[in-house]
Amino acid sequence: MISKRLVEGVDDRLDASSFIARNLKKVFPDHWSFMLGELALYSFILLILTGTFLAMFYVASPDQITYRGPYEPLQGRSVSLAYNSVLHLSFEVRAGLVMRQTHHWSALVFMAAIVAHMLRVFFTGAFRKPREMSWLLGVGLVVSGIGAGFTGYSLPDDLLSGVGLRIAYSIAQSIPFVGNWLASVFFGGEFPGTALLPRLLALHIFIIPLAILGLMSAHLAIVWHQTHTQFKGPGRTNETVTGTPVWPKFALKSVGLGFVTFGVLTLLGGLFQINPVWFYGPYVPYSGPSPSQPDWYAGWLEGLLRLWPNWEFTIFGVTIGELFLPAIVVPGIMFTLLAAWPFLEARFSGDRGWHNFAQKPREAPLRSGLGAAAVALMVVLFLAGSNDVLAKYLQIEVDTFNTVLRWSAFVLPVVAGVATFLVCRDLHDRPRSPIARPEAMTVRRTTAGGFEELHEPRAGAPADDEVRSP
Amino acid sequence: MTRPDRVVAGSFVVAILAAFGLFFVYLRGGQTQLEGALLFLTLGGIGVGLLVWAKRLMPQIVDETQSRHHAPVAEQDQQEAAETVMGGVDELKRRTFLSRLLVGAAGALGLAALFPIRSLGQVPGDTPFFTKWKRGSRLVDVGGNVVTTDTLNVDSFTTVFPEGSVGSADSQAVLIKVEPDLLQLPADRAEGAPEGLVCYSKVCTHAGCPLGLYLAADHELRCPCHQSTFNVLNGAKPVYGPAPRPLPQLLIEVDDDGSLVARGDFTEPVGPAFWNITDGPP
Amino acid sequence: MTRKSAEARLLSRVLRIGLVLVVGGQILWSFRPAPGQALSQAGEQGRALYEASCSTCHGLQAEGTVNGPSLQGSGSAAVSFMLTSGRMPLAAPGDQPTRQPPKFDDEQIDAIVAYLAEIAPGGPPIPSVDTSKGSLAEGSALFLDNCSGCHSAAGVGDSVGGGQIAPNLMPATATQIGEAARIGPGLMPVFDEDNLSEQDLNSIAAYLHWLRDNGDEGGLQLGRVGAVAEGLVAFVVGLGLLFLVVRLTGSKV
Repeated sequence: MISKRLVEGVDDRLDASSFIARNLKKVFPDHWSFMLGELALYSFILLILTGTFLAMFYVASPDQITYRGPYEPLQGRSVSLAYNSVLHLSFEVRAGLVMRQTHHWSALVFMAAIVAHMLRVFFTGAFRKPREMSWLLGVGLVVSGIGAGFTGYSLPDDLLSGVGLRIAYSIAQSIPFVGNWLASVFFGGEFPGTALLPRLLALHIFIIPLAILGLMSAHLAIVWHQTHTQFKGPGRTNETVTGTPVWPKFALKSVGLGFVTFGVLTLLGGLFQINPVWFYGPYVPYSGPSPSQPDWYAGWLEGLLRLWPNWEFTIFGVTIGELFLPAIVVPGIMFTLLAAWPFLEARFSGDRGWHNFAQKPREAPLRSGLGAAAVALMVVLFLAGSNDVLAKYLQIEVDTFNTVLRWSAFVLPVVAGVATFLVCRDLHDRPRSPIARPEAMTVRRTTAGGFEELHEPRAGAPADDEVRSP
Repeated sequence: MTRPDRVVAGSFVVAILAAFGLFFVYLRGGQTQLEGALLFLTLGGIGVGLLVWAKRLMPQIVDETQSRHHAPVAEQDQQEAAETVMGGVDELKRRTFLSRLLVGAAGALGLAALFPIRSLGQVPGDTPFFTKWKRGSRLVDVGGNVVTTDTLNVDSFTTVFPEGSVGSADSQAVLIKVEPDLLQLPADRAEGAPEGLVCYSKVCTHAGCPLGLYLAADHELRCPCHQSTFNVLNGAKPVYGPAPRPLPQLLIEVDDDGSLVARGDFTEPVGPAFWNITDGPP
Repeated sequence: MTRKSAEARLLSRVLRIGLVLVVGGQILWSFRPAPGQALSQAGEQGRALYEASCSTCHGLQAEGTVNGPSLQGSGSAAVSFMLTSGRMPLAAPGDQPTRQPPKFDDEQIDAIVAYLAEIAPGGPPIPSVDTSKGSLAEGSALFLDNCSGCHSAAGVGDSVGGGQIAPNLMPATATQIGEAARIGPGLMPVFDEDNLSEQDLNSIAAYLHWLRDNGDEGGLQLGRVGAVAEGLVAFVVGLGLLFLVVRLTGSKV
């Protein structure tokens, strides 16, 4: 296996000894919140592994076949080859269902981990110079992840995901001038079109994963090269990094975390049913079940569509479809703001310094307040996307719930933002209790016979060259 | 063995046993829940073992400090890098005419490369404005059976298509029977709703989902996707939700043998709006 | 005894008998059957139950009151559906009818049905629904096309607006499924024989009953509501467990 001879052999041919030595000795800070990105990484690896298995069975064809498999309520039904292949995989292929479900759960947890990681980076200011590029790559990963998920769950050609495709077609149609053209050309004609499934497959197993791999590799390479941020602490400075060497401890911990991630995802994949396409039946354009929601990471868009008022107007003969604002313009603004944030913050705070420290959220009250407001808005949108299901379980009237949510979309972010801002400012300004963190103190006997205290700077206080962020 | 030792050893043993379990379950035909649980134990066992080993058994080096290697880039190096890059660029720019032509060629290639997008599929043409309904098309249900005046009772509804196009996505319509006195249609539309039978496009004008909910007592069609709701008595005007336009109506009449036929296509283009929907078909 | 006292006694006897006859007759008269009808025994029991539990809202002659609609022409299917699913009698007028344990046993329900069939005839009869004659494949197709828009693809129900919730169909008996289709309770539309035939109802009921015990090869069904529950589990179980692991593994400084 890995023997000294092997290492020397490789080194001999690649001249890699200084590279290997330097990189294996690199230290990484150990804080638990820095591991959230790894959760996303390992979820993605499992997506590739399980996805490879699924790709061996899936047939991307809308051509019809009579179902003759073991699932009784569909026997004799005319279904597409795509749908049939997914049913076959789920019911007749050994380990097929656990692979399929693990794959889908991994997608949901992948996106959840990305969001958790993104929030950590945001609230600790880890996107500041020199790490703006990593942030941009991350935004690219969020968007790619949503795209991968949407194309993926549309592959089985079932009733629920087909309704989602119809909505996507309508959203495309709403774009002025080119909308109809784009939708028709990409789908291969008027909805449902003839060309879609193979294109979805190409996007889902090839184009988007390549993009994710590329973005992720660049993201990791930059983090590696720039070294990771760290929280302030005793003995830590802006020019050094303190932590655990990569080899063997940090690497092994990471690999261990990877295996645990795989374990949790396969546990979900075997024990919790997800996307039971057999209940929905094959896609037909004239049926629509309710409730109908997309996967969670598109829930915010679903909420926007449910809450948005029915405004449609015609300007100079051009009709702006109702969907255009909530489905194209607003998400466009959201992601642009997200991507531009490091640059916006640098501009408005005037802080163009080089930061290797991660901040506690309280050190940047304005940013934390704005972030909390954004999170509150997203929460309202996610609730709105689930409104009929929530209304059923809470036994409330769904239309009334919608009205409450519309108001909340304005009120809650303000409340959350202001509250967070005030709490952060308060926590940050309040001097730390000397009882909780005893001050280092020197006591000196004076010549007059009394005692005086000599206060030394507290451990962990900001260094002089650190600019306090807004 | 110290305690962490035992935990690590135990984890790996659990992983080995679970892997054999997987092997066994697979040979016996597989079972999803067992597969998931055993995979959890196998993978999780390796993972927990590695984590505990790394965290507890390996030397506790957690506070080693290194330089981040970032020094402000030496003025000289930065100059050199900039000069190398710009040197090459300037070499091209020196030939002004040629480099402009190069830009022109690249731009033209870029534009030309966009054209194969057109090959991906059909341009819409006038298809968004029309469906398969024509004057005299008979209404049939999902099973292909002709729909007559007897098919529905008051407060009933069913999905209909033009004969020969069962399942057509844009032609799908919903036929509802209400008490004739309750209809509040304008005169020209009321003619197309005989005996309280009124027919509308089933494609929601918000985002195109099929309108699967008929709330009979309220005489409202509702969409499962975003809760757009339409009043069937007054021409399917939206009464709630994000849908901006009423549902197009299919004017129908009763044939000699009692079957229902369409008087033409829908009164407006079906489904959500597109930019030139008010222009009419080209 | 004098002739006068004997006459007085006779008169008083006649008067007493007359009083008994009149009062008794009045009492008996109040129990008279509706004009033109002779009540069966079940009908009698039904009337007693009806007048005790239903007539306050629906009227003594099922003609309706300000508190409840007329039952004229509603049909035995409606009566049976409402009573067997415990939706009726309501605790208070204006309550939302929801499935509850029935207040009456089968014999009492039959009696009320019989009584109402006599005082309020017409309307859909109780359908005969036999799941053993149904086809699962047809049932699932019919259910998805006609019912899933309100009741969800797996029949667990959903909010439909108008303040109502299309209920979970898993507890429904085959007969109740047929009855509901024929009468269209609440906001539900009506499906008569030309729309959904008797065989169609057999198939739909068969499919719904099959769904009770089948279809969950993937594991815990999470309420069969789809992506909302799945997203919640992904965060709470998936990310939650991993978050715990990460907290235990990493340092806190």
